[in-house]
Amino acid sequence: MAENMKQQQQEPDICSRTTLPGSKRLLLTLYVFFSFIIGAPFFLKSRAIYRAPLPFKSIESLDNHLSMNPLLFPCHFHTVFLGFGQENQNMGFAQELEFLMFQKMQHISGSDRVCGGCGDNYSVSVTVDYISGCFQSGALENEVSWPCGSLDLSELEQILASDAAFDEYIESFLQRNGGLLKYRGNAYRVVVVNREMENSYRTVIGKHRHAWIYGKISEGDAVSLAAQLFVNFFMNGGIGEGLFSKGKGEFMPIAADGSVVLSFSLLNANPNDWVFDWDFRKIDEIFLSPVVKALAPLANISVESQILYHTPKASYSYWDENLASYIFSTNDLPFFVNSNEWYLDTSVGAAGQSKILHFVVYVPSADECPLVLQLPDGTISSTNGFMSPTWGGIIVWNPTSCSTDSRSARLSRHTFSSQDLVQVMEVFMGQLRLLFGLKSYTSYDVDIQNIVASEKGFAEWELDVLVRHHAAYNLFSSATTLQSLSKLVQSLPSMIVMDEIGKQVKLSLEAANLAENNASLGMYDAAEVSSREARVWAEAAFFHPSIMSILYFPFEHHVAIYSPFFVPVAMHVFIAAFKETMRYRREREKYWAWKNQAPAL
Amino acid sequence: MSHVWQVQKFRIREMELSFTQGRWNYERWGGFDPISSANAKPPGVELWAIFDVPQDEIDSTWSNLTHALSGLFCSSINFMESSTAYSSPSWSFLSAPAKFEDLTYSSRLRYGALPREAVCTENLTPWLKLLPCRDKAGLASILDRPSIYGGYYHSQRLHITSAEFGSKAMTMEGTVLQQTLTLVLQPDVQISLNHSGGRLIHPSWSLGSLFGRRVTGPCVLAKSSNVLLELESYLVEELGKLGGEMLTLGNSDGGYESSVFNGVLKLSVVPDEQLKLVKNLDSRNNLQSFSILYKYSVEKYSKLEPLDVGISWKLPVFWRCLEAPFHASRFLMGSGNARGSIAITLRSVSEILQEVPLSNQPDCVMRVVIFQVVPWYIKVYFHTLQIYVDGEPKPVSDVIQKIHVSPSEDRVSPGLMELALAIPCNTESAALTIEFDKGFLHIDEYPPDANQGFDLPSALISFPDLQARYYHVGDETSNGSPLLSKFQENNPVQLYTEVLLVPLATPDFSMPYNVITLTCTVLALYFGSLLNVMRRRIGEEERFLNSKVKKHILNFCSI
Repeated sequence: MAENMKQQQQEPDICSRTTLPGSKRLLLTLYVFFSFIIGAPFFLKSRAIYRAPLPFKSIESLDNHLSMNPLLFPCHFHTVFLGFGQENQNMGFAQELEFLMFQKMQHISGSDRVCGGCGDNYSVSVTVDYISGCFQSGALENEVSWPCGSLDLSELEQILASDAAFDEYIESFLQRNGGLLKYRGNAYRVVVVNREMENSYRTVIGKHRHAWIYGKISEGDAVSLAAQLFVNFFMNGGIGEGLFSKGKGEFMPIAADGSVVLSFSLLNANPNDWVFDWDFRKIDEIFLSPVVKALAPLANISVESQILYHTPKASYSYWDENLASYIFSTNDLPFFVNSNEWYLDTSVGAAGQSKILHFVVYVPSADECPLVLQLPDGTISSTNGFMSPTWGGIIVWNPTSCSTDSRSARLSRHTFSSQDLVQVMEVFMGQLRLLFGLKSYTSYDVDIQNIVASEKGFAEWELDVLVRHHAAYNLFSSATTLQSLSKLVQSLPSMIVMDEIGKQVKLSLEAANLAENNASLGMYDAAEVSSREARVWAEAAFFHPSIMSILYFPFEHHVAIYSPFFVPVAMHVFIAAFKETMRYRREREKYWAWKNQAPAL
Repeated sequence: MSHVWQVQKFRIREMELSFTQGRWNYERWGGFDPISSANAKPPGVELWAIFDVPQDEIDSTWSNLTHALSGLFCSSINFMESSTAYSSPSWSFLSAPAKFEDLTYSSRLRYGALPREAVCTENLTPWLKLLPCRDKAGLASILDRPSIYGGYYHSQRLHITSAEFGSKAMTMEGTVLQQTLTLVLQPDVQISLNHSGGRLIHPSWSLGSLFGRRVTGPCVLAKSSNVLLELESYLVEELGKLGGEMLTLGNSDGGYESSVFNGVLKLSVVPDEQLKLVKNLDSRNNLQSFSILYKYSVEKYSKLEPLDVGISWKLPVFWRCLEAPFHASRFLMGSGNARGSIAITLRSVSEILQEVPLSNQPDCVMRVVIFQVVPWYIKVYFHTLQIYVDGEPKPVSDVIQKIHVSPSEDRVSPGLMELALAIPCNTESAALTIEFDKGFLHIDEYPPDANQGFDLPSALISFPDLQARYYHVGDETSNGSPLLSKFQENNPVQLYTEVLLVPLATPDFSMPYNVITLTCTVLALYFGSLLNVMRRRIGEEERFLNSKVKKHILNFCSI
């Protein structure tokens, strides 16, 4: 009987049960399971690499904005008519001239919006000045004032004889009478002086921001000529349209941080024949420091010099009987620079980021003296030099007498005379202008009688053009750099983005906005400075050293480190949770079955 | 050219950079002459510089300088940038005092060495670029790369002194750049002919046979260009004994005889000038021991008539070289990867010591200055410094005159030890030992070839009482060579010891992953079994087992 009872008691344990199954173990395993599931995102978050938030939206909008509307600077053009007929003394005449001028300029410049140019963002004003009074027409009348009637025509007659004197006269006249604004981007002026001459007129461009036409000229001709001057020179820097259309600033040899190193080298091909020396300190003082100063708003220029020996050229030359000299042709120019033997090292050579322009004076050896450059049309180059874009310029300088008296080991030392230096430096200046993208003075195609040369090598209106284009390019380049950075960061989720990069991007964007503001206000120098800053910060962010190292933090690394722990643990947890749940359900079924059966028993 | 810019940019008052391959053999090549004491350098790269910048900018200037130089010379000098790699010795390193008026120069001095740097032609080319004619003309044109690097020893040195930032004491104007190339070459030896009784005879040689090129005239820009050939004083003595007749200066026919030491050796080219040099002024009058210097002026030679200086021996001659009064060597003691000790021994060369002035007096002492830099992972215990003189341990305070120690700081600065010892002149040997523990490095601090061991830079041992200089006998005005005037400057005798190779405990570099895998597996096991234990029902399982057995016997459960 007792045995039977025991059997009865045990039987339901296997096949059915009389109580609800205990939930302790189920809750425990489920607790572990869910905390595992919930903990996983937290854990992944804690292992996630740090990425500073970058303003992707602002970068995107800056880039779009700049590609849609290239940076344009406001320009103002002012024409002054002096000594025109007394019969038209009314306001309508001035307004008519202004309208004509505007139409003419639009016709010449067309509707293309050159990046860094004035685009259609310019205003025109006209002043008709009689000695007794004057009429002004056009925008910005109070800002660009012309002191009416204060110009003494009789005084003018004498000064007009010399271009340079008249240039300075107008400049000082405007300065005296408050006609100049403090910042660059001031109005450009053409002064038309009507006076009796042998039925011709003369057009001259000064080295400041004005040009003048004088002589016998009708109003219509004067207007069209002045419009040409405005568009072709003051707006576009005297460079042809084709050259000038897109991204001019890109080819300017200026490093990202706005620094340029001018390295002057004097190469003595064979010192056994002769050795030339120069007084570079003098060159620096007389020729270079004004240029460096003039270009200061554009670039931070430093000058270095060196003298090298045993530096033969790499190309061949041949003897020409007719010219009695050794000839190297333009085809040989790519091979002229001997990079094996010319150690044109500079102090920044190792530093990397700065831009170096080499200016080389090559003194040939006695074996190839005189050495002259033959142009493709068979004539001899007058400068005997050539330039290589973004590299620099080379001049071949032949000694006055090519014969060496004796092949002795004696050293024959010469020093460049000051005339020679002037010659050499003139060519170098021309090459420097070309490297910066400006034409040399002789090669303008418009009917210009004279351009007053500046001792700085660059006229102010030319510098304005360079500054405008470089600022626009800087801004464009910083936008593209930031855009590439944001693309890179977004495409590589495993890349750490340091706070510093975020800060640099922010600074770059701020500087870019500031540059745009300054540009729209017409403050060229300020726009240039802040655009340069924008570019420097953008480059610094893009080339931040931390970016490079992080690119090699692979996914495999995570797998290798975390899988030995998490895979076995997860297996245990999942299996335990699954088994407990299944068991609980099974047991509950049994209980229900028993419960349903119980009343029947 | 670019170096002038560097000098101005970094405001360097004095700087010396040397690249050396091989170790100067002080026992065979001499240790008491100006060449060995001024030009023998430790293997690898050594750089020191004195800056004229404010105290707090010196370290940053040093780091910029190392970067600039490593770019210029295509070498890894930039590794000296970290503060663990350089030190600032206070008085022992530049043992030429009174060079500068102000005594604060020591705090502006930085010294660094890379003993393992391999030196080759890519370091020589930038060095040659500093010469006006490079290797296109002049003496440098004989520098044929395979023969230079095939020799026993070569050391290129660059020394810059700038008066611009210096004191008024210096007589030089502007910036002075000295470039020195020291070579010990191996002439082609015909072994079958030149072995006599097992000893190697000095082979005959000439510039042409050594370099494969001959001197074809000077660089036109050089002010003077000379080849100097020195016969050491011991050799001159030997030659005298062998009966070679030494022809004196100023022969009747105005030149020199072509065979200067008749019957023993023959110079291939007649020298332009013959100079006699003595070691100290006292012996200037009694010409007992002097060395002879033959001077060849390169200006006289040209491509058609090249200069090929050489010596051919007619009889075998053996002579000693001019050794330093002490031979120094440094070695490691102890075994294992935990600790060890460094020993520096000085062994006297008695014959030389007799020539040192005052060495006969009983209370004569010799001052020895030891300068030693140890990297931070060699943790030196300075209290364990022990000094033995002639095998007897001596109290440190008896021997040491002056000591300056700056202990290393882990991963911040190396240890620096500067000692000035005063040992009796008649000492046979002296030894100095100091114990150290080997530190543990982080896994990322090991170089790529970690099992090779770590190099301990050479120690510098100098004898400030002894000057290695030559004095002219006779006409003093006849020299015009900067090298000769350099010989006559005061050069304290100094030796560099060997570079030591310290093996450190090297880990298995796959270890981090192994450790991770192992610990993770253990943790996972622990976690899993804990979880299992928690959810097991022991009672139920037992009952289940029991019931299973019963089920077998009485199978009527399923009703």
